[in-house]
Amino acid sequence: MSGGLPKALPSTGPHSLRDMPHPLAGSSSEEAVGGDSTPSPDLLMARSFGDKDLILPNGGTPAGTSSPASSSSLLNRLQLDDDIDGETRDLFVTVDDPKKHVCTMETYITYRITTKSTRVEFDLPEYSVRRRYQDFDWLRNKLEESQPTHLIPPLPEKFVVKGVVDRFSEEFVETRRKALDKFLKRITDHPVLSFNEHFNVFLTAKDLNAYKKQGMALLTRVGESVKHVAGGYKLRSRPLEFAAIGEYLDTFALKLGTIDRIAQRIIKEEIEYLVELREYGPVYSTWSALEGELAEPLEGVSACIGNCSTALEELTDDMTEDFLPVLREYILYSDSMKSVLKKRDQVQAEYEAKLEAVALRKEDRPKVPADVEKCQDRMECFNADLKADMERWQNNKRQDFRQLLMGMADKNIQYYEKCLMAWESIIPLLQEKQEAK
Amino acid sequence: MEQAAPALERLLQPAPLEPLGHPDAGLEAAVGEEAEGAQDEEGPGDRTMTENNFWLKKIEISVSEAEKRTGRNAMNMQETYTAYLVETRSVEHNDGPSVLTDSLWRRYSEFELLRNYLLVYYPHIVVPPLPEKRAEFIWHKLSADNMDPDFVERRRIGLENFLLRVASHPILCRDRIFYLFLTQEGNWKEIVNETGFQLKRVADRLYGVYKVHGNYGRVFSEWSAIEKEMGDGLQSAGHHMDVYASSIDDILEDEEHYADQLKEYLFYAEALRAVCRKHELMQYDLEMAAQDLASKKQQCEELSTGTVRTFSLKGMTTKLFGQETPEQREARIKVLEEQISEGEQQLKSKNLEGREFVKNAWADIERFKEQKNRDLKEALISYAVMQISMCKKGIQVWTNAKECFSKM
Repeated sequence: MSGGLPKALPSTGPHSLRDMPHPLAGSSSEEAVGGDSTPSPDLLMARSFGDKDLILPNGGTPAGTSSPASSSSLLNRLQLDDDIDGETRDLFVTVDDPKKHVCTMETYITYRITTKSTRVEFDLPEYSVRRRYQDFDWLRNKLEESQPTHLIPPLPEKFVVKGVVDRFSEEFVETRRKALDKFLKRITDHPVLSFNEHFNVFLTAKDLNAYKKQGMALLTRVGESVKHVAGGYKLRSRPLEFAAIGEYLDTFALKLGTIDRIAQRIIKEEIEYLVELREYGPVYSTWSALEGELAEPLEGVSACIGNCSTALEELTDDMTEDFLPVLREYILYSDSMKSVLKKRDQVQAEYEAKLEAVALRKEDRPKVPADVEKCQDRMECFNADLKADMERWQNNKRQDFRQLLMGMADKNIQYYEKCLMAWESIIPLLQEKQEAK
Repeated sequence: MEQAAPALERLLQPAPLEPLGHPDAGLEAAVGEEAEGAQDEEGPGDRTMTENNFWLKKIEISVSEAEKRTGRNAMNMQETYTAYLVETRSVEHNDGPSVLTDSLWRRYSEFELLRNYLLVYYPHIVVPPLPEKRAEFIWHKLSADNMDPDFVERRRIGLENFLLRVASHPILCRDRIFYLFLTQEGNWKEIVNETGFQLKRVADRLYGVYKVHGNYGRVFSEWSAIEKEMGDGLQSAGHHMDVYASSIDDILEDEEHYADQLKEYLFYAEALRAVCRKHELMQYDLEMAAQDLASKKQQCEELSTGTVRTFSLKGMTTKLFGQETPEQREARIKVLEEQISEGEQQLKSKNLEGREFVKNAWADIERFKEQKNRDLKEALISYAVMQISMCKKGIQVWTNAKECFSKM
């Protein structure tokens, strides 16, 4: 990936993108593989390539495909470059180590951001800084400002109003940390956004606040010009492909909203079931105290039900902490994408308006005036950027949801396996005395 | 359990239990004897219990209060009864402060149940008596009133004595059911009932969990319509969610079956109660017969010696309307003597039948116990098997769904 000029658009053939490593790769995919019971080679192949007729621009097959079943080779593949030039991935960003800071005015959490890079844009090979949520919010706004033609990943929600959620509880902080990590990784994987000046400063500056105050914004030509679009131009019609994207996003957001509601409802029902289970188990204990021969079996049943209750609690916790936030993130994502679409519409509308104005002037200039040309430029850039980002987004979305839904299935499987173990272990206890008789 | 019930029916003929003492003595004396005996062990006025299997400290038991209650009985009819507060205190050391360890409310029938249980399980031990079931004929009232405050007070003391005597008996005090009587409000019949109710609540909740998953089927289907590569995976996963949602119906059927088996177990408890009721009836019958005999003997004595010791209507009318003739007196004495000898015969046979009853009832209860334990174990095993099957089905469905998701 060379340079940071917006015009150097990456070639966005669908096949090369699919070859891209999962942007959320790192540990999570590894876990998914390690946790399974040896997935079949076919399964792994399908995961990495997603399509039988994978055609790569350089005509060869990607490296590290020989033994898909081993996780180390998987890691190798994940470290493959994400672009056609074959450069290895040269930027790694992680968010971890949340710490609470107590000051006179406020209490807040900071996260450690570790950056490793060989890119020339970074003076040092490694950086470690601490940032708080505000800083991430600032970064995102700056990115939206400076890269308005691109899709900027969403941040986790700023405020959590639901119930009495403790901003400093371990679960909340961990959920947020994961979301912030994903946010940065998505930017890292973006061929344009990852070279953004603000992003660089965010990752490296010792004192981010000073930089913020400077108000320096290295706006790109496109960014600046788009900022100045007054708006108010009426678009005649969205080109088919963008209309399709718009419709897709609408339906997608709707379906996700429904799934979010269903998932919440399931968790609610599971919690109520858990409450009953926690009352049910002890009744067997009480009963066992009144029995002679049956005391042990009944006590065993009570313990068993207790184990199942614990397993269920783990399931509901996991779903709340891991499943729901990702859904919500994607809903936010599609919302912000729709506004980018609208901005694009504005650019196109301006261009069309200007073009029409020129046509109406009926001047017999052979050449189109410079400013109309500029508009056309802007529009075409925007369209290209957006298209590229959409494809990338589609691919990542597919990976993300695959992982998310497989994770959900996995957690349910684990829950049932724990319960199965509990019940199987008391069968001998229930049977043995009978034989002894 | 069903075959045991008819056996009980066979025994349901009026027959008393062993009398509580000499037929002559009357109830008061019998109680007195035992009281003396017990006091020899404990020492006068000493209401504490030494050595006990369950407690290493001394404990004090008291029946401290009585309260009128209304509730529903087994026939679901309103009834009024008296509940007594049973308090157990542990004493750290002699004359030290006592700490309230347990306190619960019991009604007379529960004391009876405990006593009948002890009678059955310790047939060779003389189990301390309970105070009267029904208020005896109180001379200034014409009918028995179980709510009469004097009666209730006398009963409270009697119940306390009963508990103290059981607690001071070297063998009876170790009994688990006695311990639970003092410490646990519910008995196993109620516990089993409660288990059944909880099971229903659990089942209802579980139903909700499964059914909501069915919604995934629909939304995945709708979502798959707008997706290209992800579509098939989503669609097929949705199908598995539908399967999952509908699997709960079979599961709940099995759970209901288990609940029915629990209910059957309650018949055992009912059968035991019937035995105890029968026992109580017999005992009452015997007491009445003994009393009747005692009073006849007294009358006889009075007539022959000419002294009047007890109040009698006959005596009163005699005073009012004139003495009776010696011939009349002779006639009456003869009638009484016949009745007395008849009564003594009856008492003897009731005694015998009572002993038979206890022996057979005990054997039946033992049989019940074994049958019940067998049945219940079977029920528990099939419940566990059912849970295992449910888990396996769950694993299957989610594994299938996961497979579909992996193809997205």
